[in-house]
Amino acid sequence: MAKIIVVTSGKGGVGKTTTSASLAIGFANRGFKTAVIDFDIGLRNLDLIMGCERRVVYDFVNVIRKEATLNQALIKDKHNKDLSILPASQTRDKDALTTEGVGEVLEELSKTFDYIVCDSPAGIERGAQLAMYYADHAVVVTNPEVSSVRDSDRMLGLLSSKTKRSEEGRDPIKEHLLLTRYCPKRVTRGDMLSLADVNEILAIPLLGVIPESQAVLRASNSGTPVILDQESDAGQAYQDAISRFLGEDVPFRFIEEEKANWLKRMFRFKEKEATA
Amino acid sequence: MAVSTRSSFQLKTSFLPCTILQLNRYDLSVLENEIRKTISQAPMFFAGAPVVIDLEKVQDLEGIDFLEMKRLLISNGLVPIGVRGGSETQTKAAGNAALPLLNLSKTTTVVENKKPVEEPEAQVSSTTRFINTPIRSGMQIYAKDGDLIVAAQVSPGAELMADGNIHIYGALRGRAMAGVKGNTEARIFCQTLDAELVSIAGYYLTKEEIQKLPEQNSMIQIYLENDQVTIKPI
Ligand SMILES: Nc1ncnc2c1ncn2[C@@H]1O[C@H](COP(=O)(O)OP(=O)(O)OP(=O)(O)O)[C@@H](O)[C@H]1O
Ligand SMILES: [Mg+2]
Repeated sequence: MAKIIVVTSGKGGVGKTTTSASLAIGFANRGFKTAVIDFDIGLRNLDLIMGCERRVVYDFVNVIRKEATLNQALIKDKHNKDLSILPASQTRDKDALTTEGVGEVLEELSKTFDYIVCDSPAGIERGAQLAMYYADHAVVVTNPEVSSVRDSDRMLGLLSSKTKRSEEGRDPIKEHLLLTRYCPKRVTRGDMLSLADVNEILAIPLLGVIPESQAVLRASNSGTPVILDQESDAGQAYQDAISRFLGEDVPFRFIEEEKANWLKRMFRFKEKEATA
Repeated sequence: MAVSTRSSFQLKTSFLPCTILQLNRYDLSVLENEIRKTISQAPMFFAGAPVVIDLEKVQDLEGIDFLEMKRLLISNGLVPIGVRGGSETQTKAAGNAALPLLNLSKTTTVVENKKPVEEPEAQVSSTTRFINTPIRSGMQIYAKDGDLIVAAQVSPGAELMADGNIHIYGALRGRAMAGVKGNTEARIFCQTLDAELVSIAGYYLTKEEIQKLPEQNSMIQIYLENDQVTIKPI
């Protein structure tokens, strides 16, 4: 059975698309057949970050409207043949996605893929709710600031009540916190919430902490997701997150200021639950 | 999530908590000042709150400018939805200002209705609502006719209401309102208190007021003592 993962946040611009791209590549590079879907109809970002914008012919909406088959619309990633991208359309018609339509596409993808990553649009409206509706896992992307934490908290409320799993009374969706754009220096200065603050409020298992990094912008400009930049801190942090998702126990890095001694840096936050 | 093809509306009954603004005197400028002051103490609580103007104590007054009063309330972020307890003339004038007569629990309009407000009956906890998942921002939980037990934390921006008591086995960071139908015996219990607002039978303490109190490290109970919301460790 394929695992459907929604990458969501409520608040906009916190790093959902960056995360979706890196997670998708991460799974594929570990040998899993992976598809990543852009649910941000009208804004279309994922194909740019994945560097496949020139190869977009058909999109998600075409498939739902049966104007193209799924195979025609899926784009094979240039780095890894196990990864396919289903781009969003640029038509502004947000209502083009229907619950049944999305369900059919996910069902068909589930036959051939191990992981399906859904890049949610911002907000808590219909688009975001459709992206999460069929999910088994939710990666809640949060920046260390009050408004982002509040929105993530709100999202967690929706995840527990507005998904197919909750409606059918099945096991709840598995929640994972991904703290992104983390900057230990600014935490020390008191400009940002600390990891502990965020953990206390959201209280869900921590999947990873992605540091604020120049490498992210560089990566999106060149169309090669940051997880492929193995020298970079953000790339390594995404690798760690993949390992944790697959059940490995990996210490958290990049959560203390550089100067801090290495012992402190290796300080472990145990994930509450093994997830795979 | 609902399907795309459905009718354009759905009627649902709902429990709408609304604030009663009981006029003791009629002086619009005094009213405005006092409202500003009250709201500044609990802006989150009152923002967009539906308000019913209770005229019972000013029934004999003539010439109330309802349009002006409405404007005043709206400009302070409240949402006046109607009046109650006024004389026939007042009710008519209010109606002309699009403030309909609302028959809320108490009998209204009748002029001879001068008897003191009856004490609300003590609520019997016939039903208990139990929840063991976190109450997140934007969620609102109401336990009708009984107690509410939450065996998890309550986030900022979340709201708990109960006709009876509220028990929280976790941190309370949102709002909790016990005895919302007027039961002054209702209590709130919680593990950690970092609430935005706590209220018993309509009497409330805001975050600021709560934070002024010394921090507690044990279970906390919140109850009403001489019309004053009181916070004590257990
Ligand atoms: N770890 C990081 N360090 C530095 N910049 C980052 C990081 N993560 C994301 N960004 C930057 O933040 C911006 C928003 O990222 P992204 O598009 O991934 O967010 P999003 O949540 O998908 O946004 P939207 O809500 O608009 O879909 C981009 O400019 C991206 O380069
Ligand atoms: Mg995006």
